[in-house]
Amino acid sequence: MNKIQFDNIQETLYTKTLSNGLTVYILPKRGFSKTFVTFTTKYGSIDRMFEPRGKSEVVTVPDGIAHFLEHKMFEKEDGDVFQKFSVNGASANAFTSFTRTAYLFSATDKLYENTEVLLDFVQEPYFTEKTVEKEKGIIAQEITMYDDQPDWRLYFGTIENMFHEHPVKIDIAGTVESIQHITADHLYECYNTFYHPSNMVLFVVGAVDPDEMIPFIEKNQNGKKFEAPHTITREFPTEPDTVAIKDRTLTMDVTKPKLNVGMKCNHTNIEGEEMLIHELSSALVLDVLFGRSSTFYTEAYDEGLIDESFSYDFTMEKGFGFAMVASDTDQPEKLKEKILQTMKDMRTKGQISDEELDRLRKKKIGQFVRSLNSPEFIANQFTRYTFNKMNLFDVVPTLEKLTMKDLQNAFQSIADEGGHSVYTILPSDQAQ
Amino acid sequence: MFNKVELQEGVSLYIRQSDQFKTINFSVKWKTCLDESKSAHRAVLANVLQDSNSRYKTQSELRKALDELYGTIIYTDAAKRGDTHMVSLYAECVNDEFVNGDGVVDQVLELLRAVIFEPNFVNGQFDESIVGREKRSVKERIRSLYDDKTRYAQKRMLELLRPNSPASASSNGTEQSIDALTSEQLLEAYNKMIQEDEIDIYVVGDIDINSITEKIQKLFPFQARPARKRMTPEQMTGKDVGKVKHIREKQEMKQGKLHIGFSTPITLQHPDFAKMQVTNGVFGGFAHSKLFMNVREKESMAYYVSSSFASHYGLVYVMAGIDANLEEKAVQLIQEQLDELRNGNVTELELEQTKALLSNGIKSAFDSPRGQIEVFDQFKELDEHFTAEKLIAGWEAVTKEEIQKMASNIKLEIIYLLSGKEALTDE
Repeated sequence: MNKIQFDNIQETLYTKTLSNGLTVYILPKRGFSKTFVTFTTKYGSIDRMFEPRGKSEVVTVPDGIAHFLEHKMFEKEDGDVFQKFSVNGASANAFTSFTRTAYLFSATDKLYENTEVLLDFVQEPYFTEKTVEKEKGIIAQEITMYDDQPDWRLYFGTIENMFHEHPVKIDIAGTVESIQHITADHLYECYNTFYHPSNMVLFVVGAVDPDEMIPFIEKNQNGKKFEAPHTITREFPTEPDTVAIKDRTLTMDVTKPKLNVGMKCNHTNIEGEEMLIHELSSALVLDVLFGRSSTFYTEAYDEGLIDESFSYDFTMEKGFGFAMVASDTDQPEKLKEKILQTMKDMRTKGQISDEELDRLRKKKIGQFVRSLNSPEFIANQFTRYTFNKMNLFDVVPTLEKLTMKDLQNAFQSIADEGGHSVYTILPSDQAQ
Repeated sequence: MFNKVELQEGVSLYIRQSDQFKTINFSVKWKTCLDESKSAHRAVLANVLQDSNSRYKTQSELRKALDELYGTIIYTDAAKRGDTHMVSLYAECVNDEFVNGDGVVDQVLELLRAVIFEPNFVNGQFDESIVGREKRSVKERIRSLYDDKTRYAQKRMLELLRPNSPASASSNGTEQSIDALTSEQLLEAYNKMIQEDEIDIYVVGDIDINSITEKIQKLFPFQARPARKRMTPEQMTGKDVGKVKHIREKQEMKQGKLHIGFSTPITLQHPDFAKMQVTNGVFGGFAHSKLFMNVREKESMAYYVSSSFASHYGLVYVMAGIDANLEEKAVQLIQEQLDELRNGNVTELELEQTKALLSNGIKSAFDSPRGQIEVFDQFKELDEHFTAEKLIAGWEAVTKEEIQKMASNIKLEIIYLLSGKEALTDE
């Protein structure tokens, strides 16, 4: 067991990689009643072309399968796994993202019983044609629910605009049509390829004693048989730097138009420290350009171009990345121009002052320390960082040493006009 | 849990010293009796106060100052609870030791003082241009509810179930009442809030109780005020409308949003409150509950289906996202689950699971600074010495027979369906 102390944030992380390849992280938090545990596989919606375990040819699986598999993990021959968590007082859940599938629970009692339920249900798949068929109705309702959410449509529509080939453009849940093709055999094929312990991370944070928890997990894992770890071969299409669609409009039953400007990042084949620097710098650049103390924000808010729904964000995983700036607005054309003009001004004559960098650096450091109050943040983000070969606890030291050059590089990677795309949702009664 | 100091009559300070968190959290809550036009004024006021003040005259200046204080957060909101309208001012800053900062907490207290006592007045009035802008923002907030079909359907169901009553009132007032608001009225709302509202101030974090008490006493010179008026339980719950309503409305959308409203004589103050919480939990509060297990898992009819108990208003809601063509079947299934409870068909396992999850919920709620403040603020009205353990003991004592009795007290009042225009033909 390794023990790593982070003095600046007063946290201690315990870690061990077990003989089956599973990496376990434990972060005790003083004063907490609950323990939050996540069991995550590095497998998400973008992993749709891969060599299945034991085969040498790449297959393409139906869209939405990682998410479908996540749903189906909860059903076993002897019933629903939620039942077991509930009787132990644990609140359980799961989510599927572009790159990860996470199973989790939060409990203030019976930590070991719940940890065992978590480990066992994720490591004992049970899929039959009958249970797979049954799930299609539930997931169809989930997809329909998202279809009615304008903010989700805005977000995903912008991603679809930006990407030509990359599977990030495919909705995580798939479509009502695509999930009809999913079979139990598909689920086993995906499970066997991606749910090997060596492709997974277990994170325990909150009320926990590492000296007892690590041996407990180890004992559970040693009681099961796994095949030898193997390297997973995934295939991704080549993605150009330019966007697929420059501008698109959708009509929905909303009161006010919604606008999203997507900016595709052209520097994404990175990981580790380089990625950490790039993503922190990109977030800082967006703060400079669009943050609440920026000129853009002040003017746009005063002019009534944006309202309380205004947001901006930077997303990055190995192989794809993008910034988004979005708001409900009565004047989508004007807002679009203003956002793109802000990018252009920075491109042509823009400068960031040292004072600005220092101020926003301070803000980001505080924001990060504040988020360490949340066990959910720590477990989810730490896992994401690990899968990208970064360490969450390097954030503060990295922020401290960011330079103007880093910010310039980050800006350059989203600055090209060819990488910008606009998505608008118009109210049905305003559309012609 | 909290150390209480009564600063003045009607002004209380609650402090919890704890090293659990890396931040210091402040919350100041102004409470008054719920009233629609007052809500509108106070919602705009909350926005105006967080925009700027006499020290930081623009939002940008204020935000820059907060960035310098290691990303300290300051924001306000307007909310309702039972018969109460609440304006809250929150602040959260990083504990000095994590950022080599010095005196961040003191500076945040100074800033809070400016937000509360030193508004951005021009000639003794709030700045017209700021007021106009924030009126627009709050109006847009109200309007945008329409875009979120689940929240919109819930609002419609409540309006139909309890019109002109606290249960359906918006904490932001109405668009009309915001339009009608003048700067003079806003100033009056401000003065009343500062001088007449009941005020609760919360501090959670690794601080020294005595020194923070002294500082707050000095910086926040609130005057004494008499106890505020409260509604009677009948005013709060509103009246049963008699015949069951069945209402369908349509918009351009795909899913059917089914919202069902029930009433119950059990409210927060009622001695059977804990029993009704457990009953709701068995019915539809969790993933092991009857609604989830039957409507979702057995019949595959919904992705989400749950019930909740609005204890202030004596209401129980069920909401589900369904195929609108299957409305009748869904309603029947939901009613069958309630009938199961009424017939006493509750297993020991369901009871045990529900109690375990209620207990987990309340204990977990204390694992965030905001959770500690909000949960305590809600329950202290019942019992100033409230603890999670007392609530848990209340749930533990609930029996199957009591659930049966509680379920018989839950009365169907409205079935509301919001669905797409093509989805079904009217009956």
